[in-house]
Amino acid sequence: MNTTTHRHTHRHMIATISLPALAATLGSLIALAQTPPATTPTAAPRVGGGGIFLEKSFPAIESGPWSGKRTSDGQPDVEGDWSNTIGNHNNFTDPQGGIPGDPTARNRTLGPRDQRAPSRVSDPADGQIPYQPWARAKQQELAAGLWNAVKPEYIEPHDRCAPGGVPKIFTHTGWEIRQYPGKVLFLFDSSWRLIYLDNPKHLPENLKLWNGDSRGHWEGNTLVVDVSNDNAKARFARTADFASENVHVVERYIFSPDGKRYNYVATFTDPTVYTRPFTVTIPNKRWTLDDPRNGWHYQAREANNPGGPRIADHYERICVENNGGFGQVAITANQQN
Amino acid sequence: MTTRRGIQGFRQGIGALMAACVLLGPGLALSQSAAGGKIPRQANGKPDLSGIWQTTSAADFDLEAHIGRKDAPPGLGIVEGGSIPYTSAALAKKQKNFENRLTADPRLKCWTLGTPRGIYYPEPFEILQRPQDVTVVFEFGDTVRTIHTDGTLHPVDTDHEFWLGDSRGHWEGDTLVVDVRDFNDQTWLSRAGDWHDEALHIVERWKLIDANTIDYQATIEDPNVYSKPWNIEVFLYRHREKDFQLIENYCYTLDYDQYYPYPKS
Repeated sequence: MNTTTHRHTHRHMIATISLPALAATLGSLIALAQTPPATTPTAAPRVGGGGIFLEKSFPAIESGPWSGKRTSDGQPDVEGDWSNTIGNHNNFTDPQGGIPGDPTARNRTLGPRDQRAPSRVSDPADGQIPYQPWARAKQQELAAGLWNAVKPEYIEPHDRCAPGGVPKIFTHTGWEIRQYPGKVLFLFDSSWRLIYLDNPKHLPENLKLWNGDSRGHWEGNTLVVDVSNDNAKARFARTADFASENVHVVERYIFSPDGKRYNYVATFTDPTVYTRPFTVTIPNKRWTLDDPRNGWHYQAREANNPGGPRIADHYERICVENNGGFGQVAITANQQN
Repeated sequence: MTTRRGIQGFRQGIGALMAACVLLGPGLALSQSAAGGKIPRQANGKPDLSGIWQTTSAADFDLEAHIGRKDAPPGLGIVEGGSIPYTSAALAKKQKNFENRLTADPRLKCWTLGTPRGIYYPEPFEILQRPQDVTVVFEFGDTVRTIHTDGTLHPVDTDHEFWLGDSRGHWEGDTLVVDVRDFNDQTWLSRAGDWHDEALHIVERWKLIDANTIDYQATIEDPNVYSKPWNIEVFLYRHREKDFQLIENYCYTLDYDQYYPYPKS
């Protein structure tokens, strides 16, 4: 894959997913001062298309000892490219169900719920986030606002290249893991996370961050990460699910013995928003150059290495929308308001 | 393996020397320092650049020597020979940029600083090093740059116009030499409006001169903008404060993060 395709991938994200919301917002805001423009999207989004939904069910992986390859400092070696297997960020609790209320969805019937991947909420058993009533109402308002973004906050911040935050970053495009003594680095399309293994002390409580502050350790095949300092500005999905700044997340990345999969199992606790803690489960698979090309899950390409081994290479991860004006366009529109 | 054992033996020897210095008092410590001290190395014997680094220079304010002004502390400059060899047309554009610097600098939008500006920008960056690559994580904008040291070459197609350029490095002795090319024209080299276009080509030389100091040199060429290649040199110092770390700084979100207070009832 060359960078042209890479950039097209970004633009693809704008054109197929973000454009309706952006168009609606621009339309609404500009309408205050100018002749109302057409707000009907010209292109129907390919919601969930392009080989994003790889499987409808997935195996459990038990926590236990690690017998596979290790890094120089003794960590289980899990370096490489990864992506989730069940869907994207359209819908948190129905990962293959599309964005609720999507007025531009293609004409397709979803069929019975049990023919799609399960909710990412694995506990409670009903698959729903246990919101307090006010929080459920707020989530519904924000989710509806995606399609009629008359307020700036109805635009999802991730559309403006803000970091995806926890847990949304694990439902977006694929990511790379690099490991170092005492550290695990996650590289996402528009942000990164550095998991500190050698210092459990979180940052001062008043520092609130898009991707939070991550302190981890290994328990056999499981990377356990304690996440705090979340600024709670990111949404979980286009369904506008959210936490507050008080959220505390304990993530468990449970790697399979063959090193080809891991399940992300995370407990979210936030008494200000939810009635009880809940668990998020996201299945993931490793990607290599032997896999078929997939512009969503795997944006690596083969490095220029004549006569040498095949090496997966990534071009710079810079959110083009941000630098190129996508976010700026939205800001400009807002400033006209 | 011979190299590795050799390095370990060397390190043990230095360790014994240091222990001797501690035992024999400060007089010998001076002579160790005069000998250059030791630098950290990775298991493969290559210098280990891992750590958090930052310049103390005023280079980002102005690469050339300048007196203090309201928006910049004074500085001796880091350009070899004193001035950047702009062509006359390019110099006019630089001067225009300088006049508009308080609004036109891409830094003000928190756009990716680019190469080499991110290196001497006055905010820390972290180096994470593996045998196959050197990852540079900048606090400003949370930009990530990968310097490939696995022997791979620049991509065959060269019209990608990267913000940071495509970086391919190799070790010449203890110096990491990095060839960087394929840029866009969106970044500035300093707050003073120094600029380049897509033909920018940079060769960097990273060398640890002691355990806590990197001597960073770069040759900068762009035949569309400069009459000849020119060189810069700046020292980068290791952050050694207890628990020092980068703090997330996605500053390009600051223009809109006011719209995203966490939802409240």
